[in-house]
Amino acid sequence: MQSPKKRERWGSRMGVILAVAGSAVGLGNFLRFPVQAAENGGGAFLIPYFISLLLLGIPLMITEWTLGRYGGMHGYGTAPSIFAIATRNHFLKYFGVIGIIGPTVIFIWYTYIESWLLGFAFYALTGKLMAAAADGTQMKAFLTAYQGLSDGGSFFLTYVFFLITFAVNIWVVFYGIKGGIEKFSKITMPTLFVLGFIILLRVVTLGAPDPSQPDWNVMKGFGYLWNPDFSHLKNVNVWMAAAGQVFFTLSVGIGMILTYASYLDRDDDVVLSGMTSVSLNELTEVIIAGSIIIPAAYVFMGPSGMVEIAKGGGFDLGFVTMPQIFSHIAGGWFFAFIWFLMLFIAGATSSVSMLTPAIAFVDDEFHLGRKRSVILTAAFCFVACHFVIIGLRHGVLDELDFWSGTFFLVVLGTIEAVIFGWVFGIDRAWAEIHHGADIKLPFIFRIVIKYVTPTFLLILLGTWTWQQAIPVIMMKGVAAENILWVLGTRLALLGIIVAVCLLVFLAWRGRPLPDIDNDRTITKGDKS
Amino acid sequence: MTTGGWILMTLSWGAIIGLAAFCFITMIKGGKL
Repeated sequence: MQSPKKRERWGSRMGVILAVAGSAVGLGNFLRFPVQAAENGGGAFLIPYFISLLLLGIPLMITEWTLGRYGGMHGYGTAPSIFAIATRNHFLKYFGVIGIIGPTVIFIWYTYIESWLLGFAFYALTGKLMAAAADGTQMKAFLTAYQGLSDGGSFFLTYVFFLITFAVNIWVVFYGIKGGIEKFSKITMPTLFVLGFIILLRVVTLGAPDPSQPDWNVMKGFGYLWNPDFSHLKNVNVWMAAAGQVFFTLSVGIGMILTYASYLDRDDDVVLSGMTSVSLNELTEVIIAGSIIIPAAYVFMGPSGMVEIAKGGGFDLGFVTMPQIFSHIAGGWFFAFIWFLMLFIAGATSSVSMLTPAIAFVDDEFHLGRKRSVILTAAFCFVACHFVIIGLRHGVLDELDFWSGTFFLVVLGTIEAVIFGWVFGIDRAWAEIHHGADIKLPFIFRIVIKYVTPTFLLILLGTWTWQQAIPVIMMKGVAAENILWVLGTRLALLGIIVAVCLLVFLAWRGRPLPDIDNDRTITKGDKS
Repeated sequence: MTTGGWILMTLSWGAIIGLAAFCFITMIKGGKL
């Protein structure tokens, strides 16, 4: 058997759990979940949400942790090689390229949005944000000026904040898994929880701040989010929305968890660690995020205002509505600063994880060493980020968001589920999951992993292809002046896919698949 | 907030806090945190 290259390892169990939770906790937890819940039946939305978590989220999370650790045992940390060695099939590795391209492309646009959060936190401190937040129209104008989409702002500072954000991300990954990402997560994740609780406490103590509107109070705000409307459960789109939210929130189907888990030791537990990271993500999403944005908005905007806010979506709620809300509170600049700093941290813990698959691919497959792999990946991303910055007004970011942040996820998740349950085989999968496990998964999950999760994902993939991908491919709603930009973005994505396929081919040319007798012996020896 | 809202919020929060507590207690008991 060819002996695998010695790879870096996590320094502690808490480190890897916080890093995976940090990867999962992102802007979607704070901005997407509350809006999805409020729009899709309130408390009733949580029924399909938790069903999706059990049938889709947790099985896929365990699949990625397990496949990642299995790949790491053989010296590989990215989807193409993991698929090849897990299935003994050279062809299937080309399906894994999405697991490298997806997170890298998300990083390219996500980092730019992340930098806006840092900029807004800065402007909260200077008082400029609060001055603009006094009025909704002015606040929107402030945002577009900040983005460089209208006059009146300093785009130079926007670019400086982008450079700082980009540098922070690269600095973290430059120091590796244990010295960079793990240390970063151990500081930022507890900070994020503390900041979240500070804002949560402020929101729940708001009462009814407008004496002329006693009904616009916090309890009614919670009611707006939680009061169930069970009639929504008859709508298949609500179930799809819940499944989609679970998918996005856990960062499954992107490839980052595969790579993170590849730095585990062979005997490290994946079941309890995976469940812990799920619980931390849900704590942030349902309890902290669910108690901030909707109740706060309700208290100041009332029920009619909420309808308008919902139309703007989670992004406007975070960037436009929340500063307006803070402008009504004593010391609002401080809470606005905390809010944007918290979102920046949530974004940063996710974006560093997005860089790791590409870095691991270059390092594992071409043996360039971590630092050179980081520099190469950073150089590519830095150039690519500028297409997003320049093409923002032409829909480049939205186009990349759809393919990398929505469609690729479901495709890769489906491929992983089928490979794990059917090609790798449920017997091997079950044994591999429980190797070194601190707890045993209930037997029902064996059936879920083999039958339910792949079926659920195939339905999700089919529905989304029909409802979303086809209209996007046909460029429905794209302004005539943006068509060339959108086409250019697609061609660039296609070029990246072809290039990565070629790199995978070159990396594996003449390389035999590793002997799996070793892991057969290991799994036969398991008592689970 | 309606009774239904309270029930769903309590159940959801309880399930999440319960899962997190179970995970951390199991890890601490096993001396593997």
